[in-house]
Amino acid sequence: MPIIVNLDVMMAKRKMSLNELSEKVGLTLSNLSILKTGKAKAVRFSTLEAICEALECQPGDILEFVE
Amino acid sequence: MKTNIIMKVMNIIFWIVFIGLCIETGALLVSLFVTLFINSNGAEDTYMGLDLLDLYNFNVEHYIGVASFSITLSALKAYLAYLVIKLFMKFDLNYPFNEKTASVITQMSHYALSIGVVAIIAENYANRIMRQGLTLQIDWGAEQFLFFAGIIYIIALVFKKGVEIQSENELTI
Repeated sequence: MPIIVNLDVMMAKRKMSLNELSEKVGLTLSNLSILKTGKAKAVRFSTLEAICEALECQPGDILEFVE
Repeated sequence: MKTNIIMKVMNIIFWIVFIGLCIETGALLVSLFVTLFINSNGAEDTYMGLDLLDLYNFNVEHYIGVASFSITLSALKAYLAYLVIKLFMKFDLNYPFNEKTASVITQMSHYALSIGVVAIIAENYANRIMRQGLTLQIDWGAEQFLFFAGIIYIIALVFKKGVEIQSENELTI
Protein backbone atom coordinates (compact mmCIF):
# COMPACT_ATOMS: atom_id res chain seq x y z
CA MET A 1 0.00 0.00 0.00
CA PRO A 2 1.44 3.45 -0.92
CA ILE A 3 0.41 5.06 2.40
CA ILE A 4 2.66 4.04 5.30
CA VAL A 5 1.63 4.58 8.92
CA ASN A 6 4.61 5.60 11.06
CA LEU A 7 2.75 5.31 14.33
CA ASP A 8 5.45 3.22 16.03
CA VAL A 9 8.09 5.86 15.14
CA MET A 10 6.06 8.64 16.79
CA MET A 11 5.23 6.42 19.76
CA ALA A 12 8.95 5.71 20.26
CA LYS A 13 9.75 9.46 20.02
CA ARG A 14 7.12 10.30 22.63
CA LYS A 15 8.04 7.21 24.67
CA MET A 16 4.46 6.05 24.69
CA SER A 17 3.30 2.46 24.76
CA LEU A 18 0.41 1.06 22.75
CA ASN A 19 -1.68 0.67 25.92
CA GLU A 20 -1.15 4.31 26.90
CA LEU A 21 -1.99 5.53 23.42
CA SER A 22 -5.07 3.31 23.33
CA GLU A 23 -6.35 4.84 26.60
CA LYS A 24 -5.63 8.42 25.49
CA VAL A 25 -7.15 8.05 22.03
CA GLY A 26 -10.08 5.83 23.02
CA LEU A 27 -9.34 3.10 20.51
CA THR A 28 -9.08 -0.59 21.28
CA LEU A 29 -5.66 -2.25 21.20
CA SER A 30 -6.69 -4.38 18.23
CA ASN A 31 -7.72 -1.32 16.19
CA LEU A 32 -4.48 0.47 17.04
CA SER A 33 -2.59 -2.67 16.11
CA ILE A 34 -4.40 -2.78 12.74
CA LEU A 35 -3.36 0.83 12.16
CA LYS A 36 0.22 0.27 13.32
CA THR A 37 0.75 -2.80 11.15
CA GLY A 38 -0.55 -1.06 8.02
CA LYS A 39 -3.62 -3.28 7.63
CA ALA A 40 -6.09 -0.41 7.94
CA LYS A 41 -7.97 0.53 4.77
CA ALA A 42 -9.11 3.93 5.97
CA VAL A 43 -8.71 6.31 8.91
CA ARG A 44 -11.39 8.68 10.12
CA PHE A 45 -10.41 12.31 10.62
CA SER A 46 -11.67 12.08 14.20
CA THR A 47 -9.26 9.19 14.86
CA LEU A 48 -6.36 11.03 13.20
CA GLU A 49 -7.17 14.12 15.27
CA ALA A 50 -7.19 12.11 18.52
CA ILE A 51 -3.88 10.39 17.67
CA CYS A 52 -2.19 13.70 16.71
CA GLU A 53 -3.44 15.28 19.94
CA ALA A 54 -2.15 12.36 22.03
CA LEU A 55 1.24 12.23 20.29
CA GLU A 56 1.54 16.03 19.89
CA CYS A 57 2.35 15.76 16.22
CA GLN A 58 1.10 16.54 12.71
CA PRO A 59 -0.77 14.08 10.48
CA GLY A 60 2.24 14.12 8.16
CA ASP A 61 4.38 12.74 10.99
CA ILE A 62 2.21 9.64 11.12
CA LEU A 63 1.21 9.20 7.47
CA GLU A 64 3.72 8.94 4.65
CA PHE A 65 3.18 8.42 0.95
CA VAL A 66 5.62 6.12 -0.81
CA GLU A 67 5.42 5.44 -4.53
CA MET B 1 -37.46 -11.18 18.46
CA LYS B 2 -40.11 -11.57 15.75
CA THR B 3 -37.37 -12.06 13.15
CA ASN B 4 -35.78 -14.82 15.24
CA ILE B 5 -39.10 -16.66 15.51
CA ILE B 6 -39.65 -16.38 11.74
CA MET B 7 -36.09 -17.63 11.11
CA LYS B 8 -36.66 -20.62 13.41
CA VAL B 9 -39.99 -21.48 11.77
CA MET B 10 -38.44 -21.23 8.30
CA ASN B 11 -35.54 -23.42 9.43
CA ILE B 12 -38.01 -26.10 10.57
CA ILE B 13 -39.97 -25.81 7.31
CA PHE B 14 -36.82 -26.25 5.24
CA TRP B 15 -35.79 -29.27 7.31
CA ILE B 16 -39.19 -30.80 6.51
CA VAL B 17 -38.75 -29.94 2.82
CA PHE B 18 -35.25 -31.44 2.81
CA ILE B 19 -36.37 -34.66 4.48
CA GLY B 20 -39.37 -34.86 2.12
CA LEU B 21 -37.15 -34.46 -0.94
CA CYS B 22 -34.70 -37.08 0.37
CA ILE B 23 -37.62 -39.48 0.84
CA GLU B 24 -38.84 -38.66 -2.68
CA THR B 25 -35.39 -39.30 -4.19
CA GLY B 26 -35.08 -42.57 -2.30
CA ALA B 27 -38.59 -43.67 -3.25
CA LEU B 28 -37.97 -42.90 -6.94
CA LEU B 29 -34.67 -44.84 -6.84
CA VAL B 30 -36.30 -47.83 -5.13
CA SER B 31 -39.24 -47.68 -7.51
CA LEU B 32 -36.93 -47.68 -10.54
CA PHE B 33 -34.99 -50.65 -9.17
CA VAL B 34 -38.17 -52.60 -8.31
CA THR B 35 -39.73 -51.90 -11.72
CA LEU B 36 -36.64 -52.95 -13.65
CA PHE B 37 -35.56 -56.00 -11.65
CA ILE B 38 -38.47 -57.28 -9.58
CA ASN B 39 -41.94 -56.35 -10.78
CA SER B 40 -42.74 -54.10 -13.73
CA ASN B 41 -46.03 -53.07 -12.07
CA GLY B 42 -43.92 -50.89 -9.78
CA ALA B 43 -44.09 -48.26 -12.54
CA GLU B 44 -47.82 -47.87 -11.90
CA ASP B 45 -47.23 -45.95 -8.67
CA THR B 46 -43.67 -44.60 -8.88
CA TYR B 47 -44.10 -41.99 -6.17
CA MET B 48 -47.18 -40.16 -4.87
CA GLY B 49 -49.40 -41.61 -7.61
CA LEU B 50 -47.06 -40.94 -10.55
CA ASP B 51 -48.07 -43.57 -13.13
CA LEU B 52 -45.36 -44.45 -15.64
CA LEU B 53 -46.60 -47.95 -16.52
CA ASP B 54 -47.74 -46.88 -20.01
CA LEU B 55 -44.31 -45.37 -20.62
CA TYR B 56 -42.62 -48.55 -19.37
CA ASN B 57 -44.74 -50.71 -21.67
CA PHE B 58 -44.13 -48.31 -24.59
CA ASN B 59 -40.36 -48.22 -24.28
CA VAL B 60 -38.21 -49.31 -21.33
CA GLU B 61 -35.34 -47.00 -22.31
CA HIS B 62 -37.66 -43.97 -22.30
CA TYR B 63 -38.96 -45.06 -18.90
CA ILE B 64 -35.40 -45.27 -17.55
CA GLY B 65 -34.69 -41.83 -19.06
CA VAL B 66 -37.74 -40.16 -17.49
CA ALA B 67 -37.17 -41.90 -14.15
CA SER B 68 -33.49 -40.85 -14.19
CA PHE B 69 -34.46 -37.23 -14.84
CA SER B 70 -36.97 -37.38 -11.97
CA ILE B 71 -34.36 -38.84 -9.61
CA THR B 72 -31.69 -36.32 -10.66
CA LEU B 73 -34.02 -33.36 -10.26
CA SER B 74 -35.27 -34.61 -6.91
CA ALA B 75 -31.70 -35.12 -5.65
CA LEU B 76 -30.65 -31.65 -6.85
CA LYS B 77 -33.68 -30.09 -5.15
CA ALA B 78 -32.84 -31.98 -1.94
CA TYR B 79 -29.28 -30.58 -2.06
CA LEU B 80 -30.66 -27.09 -2.67
CA ALA B 81 -32.88 -27.48 0.41
CA TYR B 82 -29.79 -28.64 2.33
CA LEU B 83 -27.95 -25.47 1.22
CA VAL B 84 -30.86 -23.37 2.52
CA ILE B 85 -30.60 -25.17 5.87
CA LYS B 86 -26.82 -24.56 5.86
CA LEU B 87 -27.52 -20.87 5.16
CA PHE B 88 -29.92 -20.65 8.10
CA MET B 89 -27.36 -22.31 10.35
CA LYS B 90 -24.53 -19.94 9.34
CA PHE B 91 -26.63 -16.78 9.15
CA ASP B 92 -26.09 -14.27 11.95
CA LEU B 93 -28.16 -11.08 11.86
CA ASN B 94 -25.49 -9.23 13.87
CA TYR B 95 -22.87 -10.05 11.25
CA PRO B 96 -24.80 -10.83 8.07
CA PHE B 97 -22.25 -10.03 5.39
CA ASN B 98 -19.58 -12.69 5.63
CA GLU B 99 -17.71 -14.86 3.13
CA LYS B 100 -19.40 -18.12 4.18
CA THR B 101 -22.93 -16.75 3.69
CA ALA B 102 -22.01 -15.19 0.36
CA SER B 103 -20.43 -18.48 -0.74
CA VAL B 104 -23.53 -20.54 0.22
CA ILE B 105 -25.84 -18.12 -1.60
CA THR B 106 -23.63 -18.29 -4.71
CA GLN B 107 -23.72 -22.10 -4.55
CA MET B 108 -27.52 -21.96 -4.26
CA SER B 109 -27.77 -19.86 -7.44
CA HIS B 110 -25.54 -22.34 -9.31
CA TYR B 111 -27.58 -25.34 -8.20
CA ALA B 112 -30.88 -23.59 -8.95
CA LEU B 113 -29.56 -22.84 -12.45
CA SER B 114 -28.51 -26.49 -12.84
CA ILE B 115 -31.98 -27.64 -11.80
CA GLY B 116 -33.54 -25.25 -14.30
CA VAL B 117 -31.29 -26.45 -17.13
CA VAL B 118 -31.82 -30.16 -16.31
CA ALA B 119 -35.58 -29.53 -16.05
CA ILE B 120 -35.60 -27.88 -19.51
CA ILE B 121 -33.74 -30.87 -20.97
CA ALA B 122 -36.19 -33.23 -19.22
CA GLU B 123 -39.18 -31.27 -20.55
CA ASN B 124 -37.83 -31.39 -24.11
CA TYR B 125 -37.21 -35.12 -23.72
CA ALA B 126 -40.75 -35.63 -22.39
CA ASN B 127 -42.16 -33.56 -25.29
CA ARG B 128 -40.29 -35.79 -27.78
CA ILE B 129 -41.85 -38.86 -26.15
CA MET B 130 -45.33 -37.26 -26.23
CA ARG B 131 -44.94 -36.59 -29.99
CA GLN B 132 -44.71 -40.37 -30.40
CA GLY B 133 -48.27 -40.63 -29.07
CA LEU B 134 -47.81 -41.10 -25.33
CA THR B 135 -49.30 -38.88 -22.59
CA LEU B 136 -46.79 -37.77 -19.98
CA GLN B 137 -48.03 -35.29 -17.38
CA ILE B 138 -45.00 -34.32 -15.34
CA ASP B 139 -44.29 -30.75 -14.26
CA TRP B 140 -40.53 -30.35 -13.95
CA GLY B 141 -40.77 -26.66 -12.96
CA ALA B 142 -37.99 -25.41 -15.26
CA GLU B 143 -39.18 -21.82 -15.56
CA GLN B 144 -39.68 -21.45 -11.82
CA PHE B 145 -36.15 -22.65 -11.05
CA LEU B 146 -34.56 -20.47 -13.72
CA PHE B 147 -36.41 -17.46 -12.30
CA PHE B 148 -35.32 -18.45 -8.79
CA ALA B 149 -31.71 -18.89 -9.99
CA GLY B 150 -31.72 -15.38 -11.49
CA ILE B 151 -33.04 -13.78 -8.31
CA ILE B 152 -30.64 -15.70 -6.06
CA TYR B 153 -27.70 -14.77 -8.31
CA ILE B 154 -28.52 -11.06 -7.94
CA ILE B 155 -28.80 -11.53 -4.17
CA ALA B 156 -25.42 -13.34 -4.17
CA LEU B 157 -23.85 -10.37 -6.01
CA VAL B 158 -25.36 -7.96 -3.47
CA PHE B 159 -24.00 -10.11 -0.64
CA LYS B 160 -20.50 -10.18 -2.14
CA LYS B 161 -20.57 -6.39 -2.39
CA GLY B 162 -21.87 -6.26 1.19
CA VAL B 163 -18.93 -8.41 2.33
CA GLU B 164 -16.49 -6.03 0.62
CA ILE B 165 -18.12 -2.96 2.18
CA GLN B 166 -18.28 -4.63 5.61
CA SER B 167 -14.60 -5.68 5.58
CA GLU B 168 -13.61 -2.16 4.48
CA ASN B 169 -15.73 -0.77 7.30
CA GLU B 170 -14.08 -3.09 9.79
CA LEU B 171 -10.64 -1.96 8.65
CA THR B 172 -11.61 1.71 8.96
CA ILE B 173 -10.07 3.04 12.18
